[in-house]
Amino acid sequence: MTAATAAPVRHAPGGARAVPLTAARLLRIELRRNAMPWILPLIAVLFWFDSYRPSTSQPPFWILRTFWNMGQGHTIIDFGPFVAGVAAWMGSRDGRRGMADMVTGTARPRWVAQLATWGATAIWAVVAYLAFVGIMFAVYAHQGLLGSPPWWWVAVGAAAVTTFSAAGFALGVCFPSRFAAALAAFGGFLLMMLSSQTGFSHTSGWAQILPTNSNGNFQLDSGVLYPYLPDLPIARIMFFAGLTVATVGLLGLPARAGGPWLRRTAAVIAVAGLAAAGTAVGLADTARLSARGMDISALHDAASDRPTPYTPVCDHAAGVPVCLNPAYRRWLPDVTAALRPVLTESAGLPGAPTRTTQIGATYSSGDGAVPGPGLTLSGRPPVLGIPLGALNLPGAFGSTAAELTQQLQVLFVHAFVIPGAGSGTPGQLAVQAALLQGAGIPLKAQPSALTDYGLPSWARATQHALTNGRQSANGVGPVTGPVYAAAQRLTGLPPVSLHAWLAAHLTALRAGQITLAQLP
Amino acid sequence: MTVAGVHSTPQGAVPARSPATSAAGLGYMAWLYLVSRRVPAALGLIAATAAVLAAALHWRWSIAGGPAAQQFIPLTLEAASAAIVAVTAYGPFGETERATGRWLPYLRLAVVLALTAAAVGALAAAAAAGDLPGGALAMLRNVAGLTGTGLLPAAAVSGAFGWAGPLAYLLIAEGAFAGSWTTPWMWPTRPPHDLGGALCAAAVFAAGVTLITMRGGRDHRAG
Repeated sequence: MTAATAAPVRHAPGGARAVPLTAARLLRIELRRNAMPWILPLIAVLFWFDSYRPSTSQPPFWILRTFWNMGQGHTIIDFGPFVAGVAAWMGSRDGRRGMADMVTGTARPRWVAQLATWGATAIWAVVAYLAFVGIMFAVYAHQGLLGSPPWWWVAVGAAAVTTFSAAGFALGVCFPSRFAAALAAFGGFLLMMLSSQTGFSHTSGWAQILPTNSNGNFQLDSGVLYPYLPDLPIARIMFFAGLTVATVGLLGLPARAGGPWLRRTAAVIAVAGLAAAGTAVGLADTARLSARGMDISALHDAASDRPTPYTPVCDHAAGVPVCLNPAYRRWLPDVTAALRPVLTESAGLPGAPTRTTQIGATYSSGDGAVPGPGLTLSGRPPVLGIPLGALNLPGAFGSTAAELTQQLQVLFVHAFVIPGAGSGTPGQLAVQAALLQGAGIPLKAQPSALTDYGLPSWARATQHALTNGRQSANGVGPVTGPVYAAAQRLTGLPPVSLHAWLAAHLTALRAGQITLAQLP
Repeated sequence: MTVAGVHSTPQGAVPARSPATSAAGLGYMAWLYLVSRRVPAALGLIAATAAVLAAALHWRWSIAGGPAAQQFIPLTLEAASAAIVAVTAYGPFGETERATGRWLPYLRLAVVLALTAAAVGALAAAAAAGDLPGGALAMLRNVAGLTGTGLLPAAAVSGAFGWAGPLAYLLIAEGAFAGSWTTPWMWPTRPPHDLGGALCAAAVFAAGVTLITMRGGRDHRAG
């Protein structure tokens, strides 16, 4: 029998009032003697390199600048493994120094003393995390980012860092070796990278609980046109809190942790933690993609669905007012310039828009926003809706102003000629191609333009029609076939003749009643 | 009389025999050093790392993605092996050992070289189980360089933090893969026969080994 197994049942010395004071003193000593501050300079460098630096090339929106570091959880990847390593070092301290039996015989229960050590480690880690994120956000704010910060994701990160500290500490307690820190750190890193990879391939279900999974839950226009949906972050916080509590509870189960009452309490805490984590996974599994993010009905607050009110900024293109959210003011000239040629072509035709307004981007199940059905043309008189946040904004993920212009024109002409989300009839596709040439995208360049990232699925079918299904070495085939021939005929007409023909036949064309042979 | 006045061995006294002068004594001292640095445990962990690599290559555990993803599992295991070697630099005796152990530099050098060789050997053996990206040559370069990145913080901060160097380098290397960097200092991103990458890895390894041989793992009180 060792002192560890024969630990007596203890009663707090000096009465209940002395307990908080003693615990506070113990915590203060552990804070002072903690190894975590030694690793923080290295984490700061990595944080700058891996979390802040890649974000600077994005346009000045909170959601875009924080896409990598918050949405894909890189702040957690930069912090978690190192925190786990140092926490394992702290957890293994007594065992490494051969003091486990000695400290078991001290006045305070072993579990309480371990909680103080872990608490100090976690405090250092979480305070550092919040400080680093706070500094990064302050820099962003100084740069005048548009929209609002993703505070819920910051809370998820803090919860994740706490869990890493608890898991590392527990590993150190159970495996009191100098190698425990390395094992915890590399194990944590491996877990985070596998979490990232699982996140990339899982757009729904339980994998939404992973903090590095940005699929369907971190896209434009959150924080600009509508608030961030907090449903999934709440589930994630519950998951990490549950894991932390369960891990801490498990530390109190061994015989040397304390008396029977304390161990029973630890067992209850561990079970409660596991239940919370399991519930969170279950909640994440019920998450459904809504227009504004992942909606968990059990956690959903209807107030999160209210759009953010704003006063639009407007300009004119071909006499049509073009209005955007003021956060997108800097792209108003690009949008009006892109729409001017196509609005000029459509002017006077039935169904031509009388006004253009910005609509919220619809969330997609993937990692980035895509336009979905594209631009909308609805109402009487017709209003053109632009989900600008879902388009290739210049500077976002390497996109250029020319790509935005091309994308807007393709989407507008498609919405104008082909109602609905379908790819269109050959007659509609030929007219679409002719109008795009009139707007400045030559017929020969259109198959390539239709490969732009972010275009809806009909773009591929349109490309297929223009190339008659042929492909070249680079994937995009040369223009050929009956649709191309009809489009060439149309572009050969004087613009006035084409406009007059469209004025007379556009309604029938939209209804799919015009064949290639009926085109002029 | 004080000890200051004693200049010669008293008559009839048996001269004391230094343990380090005999082969057995040297062997015992080396064994004590190996145990104090937890070298047997390190060898076990290196073998375990190699076993995981063999399993990953045999069952083709892969991560979808570009070159960074393909190299991810082998590179992480190489970094873990390097971290294990670096952590052995931590010594529990500090000043006392430094003041009395004149063989320490040789022992440090021998242990670091032997463990690095063991890590390379074990991982090379594991690579026979499948197709290791870059082959054994790239693995040798990576393990050597990563060990250097572990030994440097071990000498500068503490042997206990030797693992932090390879882990930090790994994180930066992932960013280098993603950003298509070409600097030879990011040697995992370079082809196996690239001289620049090999020289940089060798330089970091040499710097780490030199520092740890001369100074040993630095002590620090926290934790």
